[in-house]
Amino acid sequence: MTPELLMLLAGATLIVNGRTGQALIAYIVLAATASAILLPASLSTPTAVVLFSVSVILKVGLAPIGLRWFLRANPTADDLSPSMSAPVRLLLVIVMAIAAKSISQDPALAAVPMLGTAVFTLLCGIGMLMVHRNLLAHVIGLLVLGTGIELAGAMLAPGLPAAFELGATFDVLVATFIGLALVRAIATHNPLLDVDALRRLRG
Amino acid sequence: MIALVIAAPLLGAAISIAFRSRDTRRAVRVLLAGVAALLPLTLLGTVDGLSTAFVVIVSALGFLATAFSAGAFSFDWGVVDTFWSRKSVFFMLLGAFWSAMLLVVLADNFALLWLGISATTLATAFLVGYSGEPAALEAAWKYLILCSIGIAFALLGIIVLARVSVEAGIDPANALNWSVILAHNPSISAPLARLGVTLMTIGFATKAGLVPMHAWLPDAHSKAPAPISALLSGVLVSCALYAIMRTLAVGTALGAGPQLHLLLTCLGALSIVVAGALMLSQTDLKRLLAYSTVEHAGIVALALGFGGPLGLFAALFHVFAHAFSKSGAFLAAGLVQREHATTKLSDLHGLWEAGSTGKMMLAALTALSGMPPFGIFLGELLLVLAGVAAHSWIALAAGLVGISLAFAALSRTAILIESGRPQSMTAEARTSTGQEVPAKLLSRVAVAATAVALVGALVVAIVPWIGLGDTLRLTALHIGTSP
Repeated sequence: MTPELLMLLAGATLIVNGRTGQALIAYIVLAATASAILLPASLSTPTAVVLFSVSVILKVGLAPIGLRWFLRANPTADDLSPSMSAPVRLLLVIVMAIAAKSISQDPALAAVPMLGTAVFTLLCGIGMLMVHRNLLAHVIGLLVLGTGIELAGAMLAPGLPAAFELGATFDVLVATFIGLALVRAIATHNPLLDVDALRRLRG
Repeated sequence: MIALVIAAPLLGAAISIAFRSRDTRRAVRVLLAGVAALLPLTLLGTVDGLSTAFVVIVSALGFLATAFSAGAFSFDWGVVDTFWSRKSVFFMLLGAFWSAMLLVVLADNFALLWLGISATTLATAFLVGYSGEPAALEAAWKYLILCSIGIAFALLGIIVLARVSVEAGIDPANALNWSVILAHNPSISAPLARLGVTLMTIGFATKAGLVPMHAWLPDAHSKAPAPISALLSGVLVSCALYAIMRTLAVGTALGAGPQLHLLLTCLGALSIVVAGALMLSQTDLKRLLAYSTVEHAGIVALALGFGGPLGLFAALFHVFAHAFSKSGAFLAAGLVQREHATTKLSDLHGLWEAGSTGKMMLAALTALSGMPPFGIFLGELLLVLAGVAAHSWIALAAGLVGISLAFAALSRTAILIESGRPQSMTAEARTSTGQEVPAKLLSRVAVAATAVALVGALVVAIVPWIGLGDTLRLTALHIGTSP
């Protein structure tokens, strides 16, 4: 199984499946695969190695542990509360895969390796935020979005790994720790973590 | 030296925690905030005009917000016990927020600028949800999610820009340095460059609260404690607009100028009209002020969209005028909230007769509505002139409709809350604040900080005729005529 296929399956699982626990496993697979792809590019400078290591520990280690710990404490949050039916979500994944493939075949970008995978990962992150109404899905969505950007950075601008590792690490830091701290506080009055319950505030 | 200037607000907050006596700690906080606000003077002449102008805004308002917070912390903003609802954490986050904004305006490349913008989210998400109330936590959540998505798009745009720069032969170490990009005048892949700067503009526009990416702003700005609302509205939005200005300069050099001007014109006009219309239906004072921020961010974006030296000068000047006016307005709203235990417009009457707080609120609302002699009047006048010069009649007409709606909303609010008989504080309000006769407890420092911000809103009207005005004009000329 190629890394691209593994990421496609993990991304599809994130969107189609309706359980937070399973989405978490899919996220770990996606993040670990992306890290394996990024590893060679991140060995260029000592700074890049340090930032990459921090990013991997946060993404593949601490963030999933935090999410898992939260799920054990709040079993009711295991329902991702998707806002679309499963067939529609599957159709969405197919559309996203076709869109990612089309973008990667654009003449201006055709020379960039694995761009389709990076774009698909980005779309999966946005899809998680749009399709699921559970706040934990939004945290996972942000993590996936950060992974997609990290991949895109490594593929589009291979000469600047340190800058993008720094950016991606920051993204993960924000999404994981602030997100989970807020979710924990919100859970005291909204145990289902359903985003619809947040609609009291209108933009 | 730049590193010390950037770190000073955070260091000051950390040092002040070491003092045990409450009064000493408070005095040290204000003193060190003053030092942090003055330190950027050492950078005069070493950073460009645009950075200098924004450093003035960040430092002045950062100091006022810290002084207000230190003076007014008998105000019980923390309602629910969360780990971040502590005074020491509040001041550390406030210091981090101030430092992050200094990083944004003192960075010389897009990677650091993005890092600063991202760090502001890190620092302020907890500050928005500081009270721990459900509505504040939800506002913080919306802020975190929407701004994270926005800055993710900006990062993607920066990555694309880096590729464009490297392909054009710029050394990877300087691929995101705007001075190097502008000096290099690269012959680059136009579609990719356009994609990069468009993504960056949309991302930073999310942080600036421009419609349709504004959904987080009214909630976050209205639910945060008053000094944080002042910084979010007066300074953070200005920093996001600064990032857009830098992007516009580079985008123009890379041949994406017309596209960016059109994008900013559309976002600006839409923001002014939508915010103006929504302001008419607001029932809460702080929420009204938050929508007013969307309107004024729209005015700056529209002026940038009109382009030309006049449009860019209008944008720069309006950022200045709005920063002081809006900070003063939110600080005054904080005092009103403390005195009356509410910001509901239906519960606020007779503020003019109730004391100095009511008079400051009136001055703030007058300034924001665009009445002379306040700076915002001049900013809006410059916007009209820039629109006429650019022959953008439809966008200008839309902008004027939105500005008129906002004027009507702010004037109606001023009449509503200032007229009538002052309401004495109800027993319920006393119980909710837990203190008797709060007006007597209002710290002079907090009142003084509010007054200084409002005087700033007035004094800023003379900027076009002093040295700072020349700096802004030269900066506008530089952005407008970048190769």
